[in-house]
Amino acid sequence: MKYKFIIIPVFLWLLSGSCYAQGLFENTVNQADDEHKLQIDFSGYGRASAYGGSNFYDYSTLFAEFGIQGKLACKRALLFTDLRLRAGSQFDSLGIKLQMKETYVGYQSDKIDVYLGAKIVSWGRMDGFNPTDNITPYDYFFLTADPDDQKLPNFLLQTRWYITPQINLELIAIPIYRPSVYRYDLFDLGEYTTFVAPALPDNTFKNGSLAARFNFDLPNTGFSVSWFRGYDPFYGFNVYDISWEEFAPSIQLQAQPYLKNTFGADFDIPLGSWVLRSEAAYNLTSAYQDSMYIPNPDISYVAGVEHSFRGVVTILQYIGKYTIDFASLDDLPPPENLNDMIIRELAAFDRKIFYQQEKTNHALSLSLSKRFAHETMNSELMGYYNITSEEWFIRPKFSWKITDNLETGIGGMYYAGPDKSVFSYASDVLNGGFVELKVSF
Amino acid sequence: MRTKHLIIATILLFASTTVRSQDAKEISTKALNVTDIDAMEMTSTLTIMDAKGHERIRKTSTASKKFGETTKIITKFTAPADVKGTGLLVYDYENKNDDMWIYLPAIRKVRRIVSSEKGKSFMGSEFSNADMSKPNLDDYTYKTLGTEEYHGIMCWKIESVPMNDDLAYDNGFSKKIALIDKNSYFTYKITYYDLNNELHKEMTISGYDEVGSGMFLARNMVMINLQNGRKSILTIDQLQNGSSLTENSFTPAALEK
Repeated sequence: MKYKFIIIPVFLWLLSGSCYAQGLFENTVNQADDEHKLQIDFSGYGRASAYGGSNFYDYSTLFAEFGIQGKLACKRALLFTDLRLRAGSQFDSLGIKLQMKETYVGYQSDKIDVYLGAKIVSWGRMDGFNPTDNITPYDYFFLTADPDDQKLPNFLLQTRWYITPQINLELIAIPIYRPSVYRYDLFDLGEYTTFVAPALPDNTFKNGSLAARFNFDLPNTGFSVSWFRGYDPFYGFNVYDISWEEFAPSIQLQAQPYLKNTFGADFDIPLGSWVLRSEAAYNLTSAYQDSMYIPNPDISYVAGVEHSFRGVVTILQYIGKYTIDFASLDDLPPPENLNDMIIRELAAFDRKIFYQQEKTNHALSLSLSKRFAHETMNSELMGYYNITSEEWFIRPKFSWKITDNLETGIGGMYYAGPDKSVFSYASDVLNGGFVELKVSF
Repeated sequence: MRTKHLIIATILLFASTTVRSQDAKEISTKALNVTDIDAMEMTSTLTIMDAKGHERIRKTSTASKKFGETTKIITKFTAPADVKGTGLLVYDYENKNDDMWIYLPAIRKVRRIVSSEKGKSFMGSEFSNADMSKPNLDDYTYKTLGTEEYHGIMCWKIESVPMNDDLAYDNGFSKKIALIDKNSYFTYKITYYDLNNELHKEMTISGYDEVGSGMFLARNMVMINLQNGRKSILTIDQLQNGSSLTENSFTPAALEK
């Protein structure tokens, strides 16, 4: 009986809150139907996309896709969906796939927003390198002209409390772990190496992820502090089994996520016509000395500047990492047998993917973009060079809005690195060019 | 004696120049204030035409409200599909650079941007970013060039010159000449000269509607680029005087909604 009395006022409060009169701005943004106050908005696109030309695949990705985004808002309640139907080939695998990019329901108000469902969350103020963003998994092998295609949703509960207009607190709970997609099975890691099914954590309460972020957007600066506890979507590899047939080893590797705590912070400061940005994360792991798939604790940091030089938007970033409790593999006693030698080689591979092959890791990225022809054309160039590992990539792209609804994009991606580096393996699969034609409605 | 006459003449010349200069600034201030509405919401259509008459159309929804000394403006693009969802938030300050944030659905993030290069094209149109916000009056020197009749209305002819080369570069013009109604202080026409002091663009403003006590808003602005023949038209489709939106609706986080 007591609960009934609680539930009824809460329900009435929600209803009363939802019956507010909206202004012109909110009505238009949400495409309000004046009569029913049901706000419906649909948009979408069709596109044909091709990516290919690598050493291993003439056609890495080749598909046609229809995407539709729908937003229904009934007063303060919200439903959003982004569905994509795709037919084509991805690394020689033909098929038709229905992808739910996002679908979530929610409650939006002036003071608090609550969302539940499959949703993509992007944390961090830097461009492309976000040490504080441990929430969103990526499919790094879905190759298209649009980097956003690689973002994957989590099933999550997200709340954002607007404490003041300048300060908000975001809380996120992710009950089920979703890893990023790394197709290392496509790499040429040698004829003796195979991959078994990943060892994903059980779907239990304790294996869920929690995250919180205090965000401050002040006139002269913006900054946030954040915390994440959970399994990192960026997992490591463990040795599942090593067996020998005559003199040939059979090495089975297994993707294995690891638990971590991350304390992060970021800021941006406008200085005249420049913007300074920085983002850092302190990653805490345990049992890393016993397990090759768990990286050492580290401090990851990115600092950058943005400025427009005669219309060329230039973003220069330094990306660094300091590995705590670092011990070089070279300092270990020599391996006692062949199995030990293989395990050590694989441990070195894990360190490479975590950028922990040295105590410190230093890299630079440069992004240039310019719009021209009355903003109907855009050219971009993104480059990255890792000073420590000597790996690099470059990504040029040109896009042209032929009409308001028709757009084409063309570009490429080129990875390179020393022998047996991650970029060297990736280059055989990911290098190539892309072309896309897209009609939006 | 001759020297005395010369000094008096010089003083009078300086004095008269100063008086004229103050008048011109006062007129410009009044012209700005007559459209300086504390709070409003509107939808608008931006039509961009190239020299051959091909059209591109952008639709936006905008809310603007003054909080303390700061005017906060949030704009969301509602059409066409490829820019739909893009949001822009501006904190417009009187005497310092504006704070600006942009939300791009493609990267799902709000980013702070800087308000330099006000002279850059607004959404590929002939309007510049500077045309979309309230100018900082102290960035210019003013001169009254006389009066001129515009469609039967007597107007002040006011020249505004950026204070220095940096401001000229930022705003994208070396000077502008405005025709301001002598009675209502409505601005009807502004002629822009490029950085080489060549005639560049001409903006005509019409459809002034009263939206509050003594406050007006122009519903139509047409900018013609006299050098390349391109033309852009900004039309206010719907207008609401005042806004019930709270300050929480004018935050970077609100851009994502």
